[in-house]
Amino acid sequence: MEYASFPYLTAILLSCVTGLVVILILPGERKDQIKWVSAVFSGITLIFSLYLFFAYDKSKGGLQFVEIIPWVESLGITYFNAADGFNLPMLLLTGIVFFTGVLTMWELDYRVKEFYAFYFVMVTAVFGLFMSMDLFFIFIWYDVSLFPMYLLIVVWGTTRKEYGAMKLTLYLLAGSALVLPAIIYLFVQSGLNTFDVTVLMQPGTFTPVQQKFAFILLYIGFGILAGVWPFHTWSPVGHVAAPHAVSMVHAGVLMKIGAFAVLRVAIFICPEGWQHWSQLMAVLATVGIVYGAFVGLSQKDLKFVIGYSSVSHMGIVGLGLATVSVDGLNGAVFQMFGHGIMTALFFSSVGYIYDRTHTKIIAELGGLSRTMPVASTYFIVAAMASMGIPFLASFWGELVVFIAAFKTYPVRGALAVCALVVSALFMLRMVQRTFYGPKNEKYAHLPDVPFGLGIPRMILLIVLVGFGLYPTLMFDMIETASIPFINGLP
Amino acid sequence: MKWFLFLPEIFYFASGMAFLCLSMTNRSDPQREYYIALALAALGVVVSLVAVNWEGFLFFNTYRVDLFSQVFKLILAMGLFLIVSICSELKSINVRHHPEFYFLLFVCTLAMMLLVSSVHILTIYVALELSSYSLYVLVALRRDEKMSLEAGIKYFLVGIFASAIMLFGVALLYSTTKATFIADLIKVLPGILDTPAALIGLLLTLCGFFFKLAVFPFHFWAPDVYQGASNQATAYIATASKVAAIAILTRMIAVTGPGSIYLAHALVALSIISMTLGNLAAIVQKDLKRLLAYSAIAHAGYVLIGVLSMDSAGYASVIFYAVTLLIMKFTAFLVVVKVADDGRNLEISQLAGLHRRSPLLAMALMVSVFSLAGIPPTIGFTGKFLIFAAAMHNGYFTLVLIAMINVVISLYYYLLILKAAYLLEPEDEQPTLQLSQPTTILTSVLVAAMVVIGIYPTLLFELARAAAGALM
Repeated sequence: MEYASFPYLTAILLSCVTGLVVILILPGERKDQIKWVSAVFSGITLIFSLYLFFAYDKSKGGLQFVEIIPWVESLGITYFNAADGFNLPMLLLTGIVFFTGVLTMWELDYRVKEFYAFYFVMVTAVFGLFMSMDLFFIFIWYDVSLFPMYLLIVVWGTTRKEYGAMKLTLYLLAGSALVLPAIIYLFVQSGLNTFDVTVLMQPGTFTPVQQKFAFILLYIGFGILAGVWPFHTWSPVGHVAAPHAVSMVHAGVLMKIGAFAVLRVAIFICPEGWQHWSQLMAVLATVGIVYGAFVGLSQKDLKFVIGYSSVSHMGIVGLGLATVSVDGLNGAVFQMFGHGIMTALFFSSVGYIYDRTHTKIIAELGGLSRTMPVASTYFIVAAMASMGIPFLASFWGELVVFIAAFKTYPVRGALAVCALVVSALFMLRMVQRTFYGPKNEKYAHLPDVPFGLGIPRMILLIVLVGFGLYPTLMFDMIETASIPFINGLP
Repeated sequence: MKWFLFLPEIFYFASGMAFLCLSMTNRSDPQREYYIALALAALGVVVSLVAVNWEGFLFFNTYRVDLFSQVFKLILAMGLFLIVSICSELKSINVRHHPEFYFLLFVCTLAMMLLVSSVHILTIYVALELSSYSLYVLVALRRDEKMSLEAGIKYFLVGIFASAIMLFGVALLYSTTKATFIADLIKVLPGILDTPAALIGLLLTLCGFFFKLAVFPFHFWAPDVYQGASNQATAYIATASKVAAIAILTRMIAVTGPGSIYLAHALVALSIISMTLGNLAAIVQKDLKRLLAYSAIAHAGYVLIGVLSMDSAGYASVIFYAVTLLIMKFTAFLVVVKVADDGRNLEISQLAGLHRRSPLLAMALMVSVFSLAGIPPTIGFTGKFLIFAAAMHNGYFTLVLIAMINVVISLYYYLLILKAAYLLEPEDEQPTLQLSQPTTILTSVLVAAMVVIGIYPTLLFELARAAAGALM
């Protein structure tokens, strides 16, 4: 463990909070100022997360940039932040999606102040969750990241927003209804009076029976947020209803919170429970991959297609976690990162198209590549990433997960790969119908993405291609955490 | 100098008397009475604060001044001050009755202060009745006589019914233990708690407190009373009255020592039924105060979870939760009082457009609603967390799980309130709500308190632990 010379992690949180406070102080009519403030403060968090990603000493590994402050000593609650190979990719992802999300919503004109305020609350919590090593804080951040969602969707959303928002919130809070008892259970059973993950994860703290029991609660509880089949139904509905930036953060980052929390809490603390339930995890993940692909095939709404492909891709993350191997973990974390960037690009480009055409129905669009060539390019690259085309970031994650899965679960691995073909089919179909074919004259006059508005999509695209061409950067990072962890398993 | 210990009570008694005299004069000046009440209530907080460390016995040891009672007196004093602070526009009470209104508030607070210090069955009963009778009248005092009279009579009937049952229980308890002092009961009761007569005696005695707390099966009065009473009186019943009920319930349960399995099971059953019933019934409510009444029934269920842990961690969590309830419920009622500024009852749909009419009130409503639902980082979450942790220490895993499911159910109707405030637009244009300077400050302080104590509960929690320690 290496203590931080400067509290970089807290600085990320503080820049979010400061941004929030400034937004709250500014009067609501100064919309441009609010947007600039949001851009600046989200930019600062991006810079910090980039710095951490590259400043992390991979040769040493382990927890770095550690900050520990006792919080409620009589209950063993500590403010404990740290960075390791698992959460640094996630922090970077959050920084990128946060910043590009702010830019994506640049044209927003309705209740701007409140939107950015809720958006900042949500992202602060996401950052907090990724960096925290204390169960109590992990739970707090988890819940805090959920509650602004309801208002964000219900006020600024679109399709069936009230239904979607309520369904999403209740589903995710139902997940936390399983998580909280499990966390308190672990706290009580350990008898150590601490919520510190690094202490609770020591071998021998919990008996195998306790681990199995706690693991399944935590897996289902967090898994709901990760879109694990059959608890995924909130996700397409919620993504479709949400405003673009919220869809970006939600599909891009929030679903990763679920998978990451499964890793950080359930797998770290209950490794024996993990091994015990890995068969079930693999089954649910495979069903999710196949199911998401087939349901995606029949969707008519662009955002629904992306929503179901997210279910499918999060299934790949789940499959990676279920393999109980170094490769599986590497692939799962890389896939979280790659999928996050890819989905953000998806929703960001759909956002541009929807703001112009006011429709997301595939049949009503068509031939857009001639009207908006640049906007179409962004979307098509995202679709290619989703199909798993090599040299895009999401390719490597999927590849490594499938290699690991073939070793452990040959049948389920093969099924999942077949499902990928189906998902390639629906992606190509969607691209073909939306961007090629006969041009819909109604939208022929629409302008293409100007340079300024294109910036967030460009950033996402560069990241997607960059990590696709140079995946070692990410794999080396993840391995500093995954290899010691798997070797340390009993 | 022993009488010194009685200073807070004397102060509230004198204040009550002052308003009694005022009510006998012919000239009534609402503004003047409001300021007098506010000054006296503020002074009361100071007096209770000064008295917080005092210890001793009074009245032949039937009255105990300890950290537990003094902390609760402080909470009650603050509760009264908060309630008085929202009485500046008492439009639902006839101007002639304003002095009586304050008189009853002060006397009721006095009674509750007596209640939290009482350590003899008889003093407990007398204090309980005094506070109940003040509330009966308070409820019936509203200008809209028909509705409030009905509510008052319902409250009264359920109340005397509960009192009768409680007296019966006290008789049974006495016949088995031959003790009326709490200190004696502690010695005798744990040994014989597994005998039917003692157990039933204790349970029936508790009924009097269940009534105050609106625990099933004594919850029937809550929706009608909340709806029928004036907004300010309802706020008082929802906050201060609940705090006193929690205090005395905790003191009575602490008598049983480690408790008995039967008692625990009975409390578990009551807790589950209260939570579930309250939350399910709240879903269909249209009137905001009625909804808050059902949510109060559900919260009574959560309180019982902490009480039935029957150890000092459980009692500490309950004391913490009492403060939690006071702050978050009061904030919700503050919004009700300010939005329904002519003293009417508030439908949920009438919250429409609140985010434009008053962003601050909308935010206060949001934070208090999330706090009521138990979502971090609010004080409501921290309170629930402490209660659940205490219950889990005693092995009540299933109970905690059921409570969490209830939290999810409750979230549904809480979110509907938020939807009304943030999304819906009123049919006819409503003017913006102008808040006075003190109200703005008060609202901001409450919102900050809910979030700050939620994030950093250490100080309050240590106080609660110390108070619980004085109890054992």
